[in-house]
Amino acid sequence: MSEPDTAIPESPASTGSMLELQGVTKSFGDLRVLDGIDLSVDRGQVVCVIGPSGSGKSTLLRCINLLAPPDEGRILLEGKEITGRGKEGLDFVRRRVGMVFQSFNLFPHKNALENVTLAPETVLDKGDRECLEDGRRLLGRVGLTDRADEYPERLSGGQQQRVAIARALAMDPEVMLFDEVTSALDPELVKEVLDVMRELADEGMTMIVVTHEMGFAREAADRVIFMDGGLIVEEGPPSHVLDAPREDRTKRFLGLVLEH
Amino acid sequence: MQQIISQYFDFGVMFDPDNFDKVLKGFWYTVKLSVISGVLALTWGLVLAVLRQTRGRWGAIVRWPTIAYIDIFRGIPALLVIVLVSGSLAALSVENLVTGEKGPIPQSIGVPDWFSQPAPFWYGVIALTLTYGAYMAEVYRAGIEAVPNGQMEAARSLGMSHGQAMRKVIVPQAIRKVIPPLLNDFIALTKDTTLVSVIGLIEVLQAAKDIQSETLNSSAVTLAALMFLLCTIPMARGVDILIARQQAKFQRGLA
Repeated sequence: MSEPDTAIPESPASTGSMLELQGVTKSFGDLRVLDGIDLSVDRGQVVCVIGPSGSGKSTLLRCINLLAPPDEGRILLEGKEITGRGKEGLDFVRRRVGMVFQSFNLFPHKNALENVTLAPETVLDKGDRECLEDGRRLLGRVGLTDRADEYPERLSGGQQQRVAIARALAMDPEVMLFDEVTSALDPELVKEVLDVMRELADEGMTMIVVTHEMGFAREAADRVIFMDGGLIVEEGPPSHVLDAPREDRTKRFLGLVLEH
Repeated sequence: MQQIISQYFDFGVMFDPDNFDKVLKGFWYTVKLSVISGVLALTWGLVLAVLRQTRGRWGAIVRWPTIAYIDIFRGIPALLVIVLVSGSLAALSVENLVTGEKGPIPQSIGVPDWFSQPAPFWYGVIALTLTYGAYMAEVYRAGIEAVPNGQMEAARSLGMSHGQAMRKVIVPQAIRKVIPPLLNDFIALTKDTTLVSVIGLIEVLQAAKDIQSETLNSSAVTLAALMFLLCTIPMARGVDILIARQQAKFQRGLA
């Protein structure tokens, strides 16, 4: 990032990872969705999170960028604690962590290019011309140069999701969070989105991917995390977690997922 | 029978140049009142709606007074507000005849004659804006709440503040959704401008009423009604068309 660093000091608890979660919990009412998560992600790592619905995967992502601030525990980004810092922590994390949603959430009143440029124009000290150039370049990167002027309603689901990825990249994030980004897509549109994500991974982007696409997890992930009941049950390289799981819960889940 | 018809539809009375001119002049006040109060109420309502959406502990300092304001002005008759505004502003600005003491607000505000419109006109504008601003705030609120939560989350995840997200993402979408109901409120406001006749503005109803008492014939009032219909029916049809379009869009799964 070219902007001056904020005043958040390096945390003494830092282990030098890109992202660290220490004892993170989150409850909604009586429901404890995250029950003490410890996780550390190195720069450039791709971590895929799998698990049954309701296991806390999405909440984990939403805790990381403070859309759902954790109740307890700490989150460190680039060695700096972002939890418990109010607006300062929010600004720090939101400019460094991009998120892509299952339901795209494109802005329907803006065309594809405006979707990409709106946040940088609003938030960053960047000229409009520069934002436009960057926006076009990013749409090119996701293969949508020729759809720049289209409104979301005129784009296919796959195209919308690629615009959403470009939109998140426009803030020049250090970490990208993907929340079941292919779950709402027709099967024939899944590949074009996964291809973009694979390229991103190859370029060294730090990524946390909540997904049901086991194929993608197997080939793109450096590490797979299996979550159930708000806990990380098992984690390791894909060849271990997906092909030779140790935990019964992991085996049962994979049995159900891979069966069909 | 003839008598009954001519009581309401005596073209001689209606189109008597003098009468017609009076009613039309009155209706011109109605149009000005509607447009000025309408624009002000649309703006004031949006301000109220956004203030109502402020978040957090500090936000409560503006949120609660805003909610109280909206509840109060939606809960009292527009006619009462008109009487309250006109009588009080005038009374607060006049000199005390006994002591010679000046009123707490200047005469230029207490008895306004801005843009060479009479004071009752401006009392009407103020009262209708206060009342309809509250109605329209609730319409905007419905619109804001109808924008899916994911829009706010997407905007926030991109680093926008709550205020930036409201301004650039939520409110523009909300306004599109609520144009038909806002127009409905505007039609209601147009009709309620006749209430300003009670504080002495010779708007269309008062003008027609004067002719009615002079001639013992109601055709001038019918004429006033026709003038209203000429404006309100096209507006109502416009609302229908807008709603139909939105519904078509919704059915295609695009809204």
